[in-house]
Amino acid sequence: MINLVLILPLVLCLVMFIFRKKRLNSFLVFLYAVVHSLLGVFYFTNLQYLGQNQYFSLNSSNIVFYLVLSVVYLGVSIYNIGYSRNMDKLFNEKKMTRYAIMILIFVLSMTGGILADNLGLAWIFIEGTTLASAYLIYFNKTKHSIEAAWKYVFICSIGIALAFVGIILLTVAEGSLNSLNYSDLLANAKNFNHFWLNVSFVFILFGLGAKMGLAPVHFWLPDAHSQAPSPISALLSATLLNCAFLVILNVYKVMIAANCFAYARIMMLIMGFLSLFVTAVFLYHTTNYKRMLAYSSIENMGILAITAALGGVAYYAMVLHLIGHSLIKASYFLTSGNILELFETKKIKSINALSSLDNKTAWLWIASFLGICAFPPSVIFISEFLAVKTLIIQKHYILCALFLFLLTVILFAMAKVVIKMVFGERNAQKHTQIQENISKIYPSMYIPQTILLVIAFTLGIYIPKYLDFIIRNTIGA
Amino acid sequence: MVDGFIILFGLTMLYLSATSRLVAHIKTLIVQGVLLFLICAAGFKQAPWYIVLFLTVETLVVKAILIPWFLNKVLKKTHSNRDTDANIAHFYCLLISSIILFGGFLLGVVEIPSLSLINPICFGMALSAIIISLWLITIKHKILSNVIEFITMENGIFLLSLSVAKEMPMLVNIGVLLDVFIAIYILGLFVSEINSELGDMEVAHLSDLKDFENND
Repeated sequence: MINLVLILPLVLCLVMFIFRKKRLNSFLVFLYAVVHSLLGVFYFTNLQYLGQNQYFSLNSSNIVFYLVLSVVYLGVSIYNIGYSRNMDKLFNEKKMTRYAIMILIFVLSMTGGILADNLGLAWIFIEGTTLASAYLIYFNKTKHSIEAAWKYVFICSIGIALAFVGIILLTVAEGSLNSLNYSDLLANAKNFNHFWLNVSFVFILFGLGAKMGLAPVHFWLPDAHSQAPSPISALLSATLLNCAFLVILNVYKVMIAANCFAYARIMMLIMGFLSLFVTAVFLYHTTNYKRMLAYSSIENMGILAITAALGGVAYYAMVLHLIGHSLIKASYFLTSGNILELFETKKIKSINALSSLDNKTAWLWIASFLGICAFPPSVIFISEFLAVKTLIIQKHYILCALFLFLLTVILFAMAKVVIKMVFGERNAQKHTQIQENISKIYPSMYIPQTILLVIAFTLGIYIPKYLDFIIRNTIGA
Repeated sequence: MVDGFIILFGLTMLYLSATSRLVAHIKTLIVQGVLLFLICAAGFKQAPWYIVLFLTVETLVVKAILIPWFLNKVLKKTHSNRDTDANIAHFYCLLISSIILFGGFLLGVVEIPSLSLINPICFGMALSAIIISLWLITIKHKILSNVIEFITMENGIFLLSLSVAKEMPMLVNIGVLLDVFIAIYILGLFVSEINSELGDMEVAHLSDLKDFENND
């Protein structure tokens, strides 16, 4: 079954390349999403049978990441049906075929990165995501999209190269062991050379941290996320960052198994808090609503790093936060696509009275904001609450105060923008144009956000037993 | 003999720091490719045939022929011959690179117990090549220079993988090749696109996207 998920997109790419039909492309992107999700559901309901082959496996540590990817990708593929109809009017079949092919390769790379049993293989797939997504960021071929794609490719390539240095140093730390399989690394971690293990973690954290969007190596993220087409922004933010995080987390587990994680823990806490600080500073001044969402991703990646570093109950919060952020942020970015279709601008100052122009988009925008800012019953409320609780239990009072202060600044900065965009006076001059643009928002451009938000808010009230079981398995509790 | 090649590799980084001519930078890449092949060739006697073939293709064909050829093509297309506007003068650039290289050399000759698992001179030179490349990326202004320095950094990483005394998994070698693939395809492609879109190859022109100004 795992082979099917990894081989099917290649077959579908070939079919797209041969036929080059716009409608067929959208359908095949959706078809792969369905197959991807079905596999997730199959494993979700048959936990005793977790699939694997020689190099890939779906196991207790990666199943949550896989399920999140499945759900978000399914939502994006539904949204993409309507979105592509608008793009069809602007671009020819050749370009739209390339777009669809790159989406499949991008999702394939992320899937491979998540399922890979081997650190080296995961690294190769993470690099594959850069190749595929660079084209998607650059898709509009504007001056700004070229700039964003260039920064993305250059910074991430350097980051990935440094992560590779980390992998080489990890093999030095291994001593006589000659394997990069996670299971081998965990089993033999106690015999590793601590000096080299620490050095290798620094390189891997900084290298893959760049891909994950952790400050201070986050510079590509606001540009790339704001310039990519909205469905791609959703995939970048809600799934790609998780893939890089999974690899960091797996190496961090090796550090814990080797009993030399004190240094790694401090590194992750520093990068996590730095991410929150950078977000708080830049978000306050941002003038572009897609950049605002991108900065919010940096913030949430920071929270993931902090919760991973804290351990204990915060480890459970980390998985919940990962699920919540992915679902809500995907919804947020997709809704930003609707706003962009309506107003044809990303400038915050040019947008107001959204509620009187398109009520559904306005409600989705508000609900996504409430969800991401951890208003109950958002699942993020629980994760952030548990993170604060852990900080207090571990007696990190100053860090706890800093955490709450930075989150409050971020909440205020986002609320200011959302309220300004949703309410206020209509601009009479633009009204006619916006009314015409409402016809560009197809029903499929509301449905996925609604579903994703319903899941995120439901999980804040009730976590099903089997999901709880999976989360506990993931954290090894 | 091998140590000589490794030190020569380190010295090419000094040449890279001292010159502003992009053609000279590309020629340095050819020299580095050949040197890496010679360093690899020293261990060919014990290696199986497919490793020999793979390393030959990776160093001689890709690093010494394909990449320089590709970059030369881009250079002719973009007509950018020199990177004269570096952030600091060439003399200081050379001085700082020399200090980094000296540090790498010291790492190679001073006996440190933790370094017993690796070839110290190779490790020292590789590390200094990576640091010098990153340093040059930050001070150079032309996009093509940045691409070239990215590739020299990749070469440094390749040397680092050779410094590990034990046999590296095949997967790691494939990883290096994939990185090279990124360098020539994506960066090369973007360089052409940026040139046609902006009509120039200055990094400064890629700074429109900011937080405090309005952009689309």
